[in-house]
Amino acid sequence: MTLHAENIRVSYGRREVLAGVSLIAQAGEVTAIVGPNGSGKSTLLGAITASLPYKGRVHLNGQDIATLRPWELAAQRAVLPQASHLAFPFTVIEVVRLGLQSGAAGDRSDVPLRALARVGLAHYSDRSFQELSGGEAQRVMLARVLAQVWAPIEDGTPRWLLLDEPVSSLDIAHQLQVMQIARDFTQAGGGVIAVMHDLNLTALFADKVAILAGGECLASGAPCEVLTDVILSRAYGCALRVSAPPPAGIPYILPHAASA
Amino acid sequence: MTRWRCRLAFFAMIGALLGSDPAQAQQERDILSIGGTVTEIVVALGQQNRLKARDTTSRYPPDVTRLPDVGYMRALSPEGVLSVGPSLIISAEGAGPPEALDVIRGADVDFVEVPDARDGAGILRKIEVVGDALGVPERADALEAEVGAALAEAIKTADRPEAGKKRVLFILSTQGGRINASGTGTEADAIIRMAGGINAVTEFEGYRQMTDEAIGLAAPDVVLMMNRGGDHGIADDDLLAMPAVRLTPAAQTRSIVRMDGLLLLGFGPRTAEAVALLSRAIYGDGP
Amino acid sequence: MSAVTDTDAHATPRDRLTRARALHWLLAVALLLACLASLQIGASDVRITGLLASLARGEALSQMERVVLLDIRLPRLAMGMLVGAALAVSGAAMQGLFRNPLADPGIVGVGAGAGLGAILAIVLGALLPTWLTGITGNQLVPFAAFLGGWGSTILLYRVSTSGGRTSVATMLLAGIALGALAGALSGILVYIADDQQLRDLTFWGLGSLAGASWAKVLAAGPMILAAIAAALMLGRGLNGLALGEATAAHIGIDVQRMKSIAILAVAAATGAAVAVSGGIGFVGIVVPHLLRLASGPDHRTLLLNSALLGATLLILADVIARTVIAPAELPIGIVTAVLGAPVFLWILLKRRGLVLS
Repeated sequence: MTLHAENIRVSYGRREVLAGVSLIAQAGEVTAIVGPNGSGKSTLLGAITASLPYKGRVHLNGQDIATLRPWELAAQRAVLPQASHLAFPFTVIEVVRLGLQSGAAGDRSDVPLRALARVGLAHYSDRSFQELSGGEAQRVMLARVLAQVWAPIEDGTPRWLLLDEPVSSLDIAHQLQVMQIARDFTQAGGGVIAVMHDLNLTALFADKVAILAGGECLASGAPCEVLTDVILSRAYGCALRVSAPPPAGIPYILPHAASA
Repeated sequence: MTRWRCRLAFFAMIGALLGSDPAQAQQERDILSIGGTVTEIVVALGQQNRLKARDTTSRYPPDVTRLPDVGYMRALSPEGVLSVGPSLIISAEGAGPPEALDVIRGADVDFVEVPDARDGAGILRKIEVVGDALGVPERADALEAEVGAALAEAIKTADRPEAGKKRVLFILSTQGGRINASGTGTEADAIIRMAGGINAVTEFEGYRQMTDEAIGLAAPDVVLMMNRGGDHGIADDDLLAMPAVRLTPAAQTRSIVRMDGLLLLGFGPRTAEAVALLSRAIYGDGP
Repeated sequence: MSAVTDTDAHATPRDRLTRARALHWLLAVALLLACLASLQIGASDVRITGLLASLARGEALSQMERVVLLDIRLPRLAMGMLVGAALAVSGAAMQGLFRNPLADPGIVGVGAGAGLGAILAIVLGALLPTWLTGITGNQLVPFAAFLGGWGSTILLYRVSTSGGRTSVATMLLAGIALGALAGALSGILVYIADDQQLRDLTFWGLGSLAGASWAKVLAAGPMILAAIAAALMLGRGLNGLALGEATAAHIGIDVQRMKSIAILAVAAATGAAVAVSGGIGFVGIVVPHLLRLASGPDHRTLLLNSALLGATLLILADVIARTVIAPAELPIGIVTAVLGAPVFLWILLKRRGLVLS
């Protein structure tokens, strides 16, 4: 089962932000979308999540998302937005519960608490969401997203996590924790598409990488195929060398070398 | 035997005096009077003992203010009115809201409406309607004759040739520096004419805000205002200082007349007095 | 997007939800007591306790008792409940839809339109042809207010909806423009109005339940009840909307449908309420606020509690309005303002030390 985005075009007014990008993500894999600022990464994710108008087609588990109603989509995929707004003073656990599909049953279910435990915030469940730091809020939102599609496979169909910069506000330990959650999700059969800024984490955790620049997809494939000097330098517009040891004397900390 | 007869005659006489007015045989308070002038007429017909309550505008004679007040006549409270317990309501035109009146009528309370008036005939009609409602038609006739005569006399005395008439501007309010004055078709217009004056404003009907220039063009010789209780009204000096008023003939002679609102505009039993007072105020004591 | 933090999010969510549900029962009891108070207390001496005693003895009601109870107090009670519930639920729904705790039901244009309709009827009513006034009878003002409320809501809705999507931001701005336009037109009408009409206008604006009648209850009742019922179903949707429209859609809420239902329900409920009772303020803003302070912002319980508390408060305000200066009566809008404004200030001051984001 796949998520197949075909020839996606998006324009804001006259400016074309995505000029025909295609992407195929497989269930059981973490697919990362990387690229410089303004390359259209979040826009692509927006099209895939049906959050903005687009031209082209997106097929989720074989169905064209344009034909699905909001609740049908919500049953198959959960979306983690880049920024989290909350207009009213809900508590953390109430926010996580918002992810649950069924209203009343959701109140009695233990899934929200377990989701919070997954992101390491079970002890925060009764705090007011608006008091949290940026990173904590992002993790709570991830818990909400997990609660929405708690089972990576439902009725034999894989479910999807679509994450827009899931680790941008997190410290390194939590970054690793969150990426591991994504990896675990795919190993249980679900699919993950994540827009990423951090190339190292991408290299560590992604099974497939698509790199965008200027509204087009420059390359896609396995990390070692895409994360090369040539492609990265071209995409980011600065000379980048992959796997090159840094100059002596300056410390470097790579997530690759971290351990729990 | 003679003493016994004397006593009998004495008591019969007392009894006759007391019972002489059939309408006052039952001195029960059962009337709600709505409208300042309506209340005045009720009192003038000698029926004040039957008044149980009144509305906010009923302020003359001062005694009636001791009666319970049912509030503003266009916003009556149905239960409030019924709680007063009247068997008859005599009201000036325009009482409301209509649903409240429906409920009150549904409680078997009689409701008599007295039409508004802007001339002598209208005043007499008011007295007739109130008298009928109260069951004292003979007193009403007497009062009508008295009032009619007094009014005719006052108007005649106040009358003078066109050339000698003064222009009078009635100002309703000067709230916010804007002058709200009377045109034609109002009680103010009517009383000014009865008192031998000319309404300085004839371009419109009713009460309107007038521009400063229009007031200048109206060139009133006299400004007429209602006497507001306390210090709600504008002081003479402040009024004359207003740009609109400053250049009028009235300002130059400092001719400002203030009269009690109910007396001036009520069109009831005291209107003859109002005409005479107003006329004297406008023209001085001479003819 | 303005949001205000709440002081007691420290209570466990189980408690908050339980507290909110317990409030259903508490408020229902309070409503019942308010109803009894409303029937018992009034300007006249008619007391429901006395009535029940006489009925128990087998005596029939006197005419005065019948009129006061059945034609005055009971319709007022019914109308007070309907109007109070309508205004409070509409306030809660609009605050949820616009994601702003300061929104009030008038935000969809109902207030401006209804007011304009009422002014038109009061000032120009005499100019209407008799066949028209024959239909409406002496209820021209409520009719016109109701039509005005609907007209302006539809106008606002059309202006802010394009491509099948309603923009609440546009609606807010368009509402301001519409309010200004209505104000200008009203100004012209106020200018040509005579003294009596001006007084009628003022009283209409202050709101009153004095004109309550069974006809009005039957005319406005079904619409208000249907609208409240529709609004009560928006609980989950409005909760999700607190995350933002995009996220609400992602968790499966049909945002456009919810907006349409919310706007329609508020227009119907508020339009009918304002039409029969004039401009009563503060209920729509203060009631949802108080409830959020008491038991959290979960709309699934907030909407129902708002209906119950709104009905209770308006009934009690009416009792005050018709007894405090008896035998005269105070317009109920004055009572709600006198009570509501200090409460509102207190709420704002209470939060002053906390984060405003």
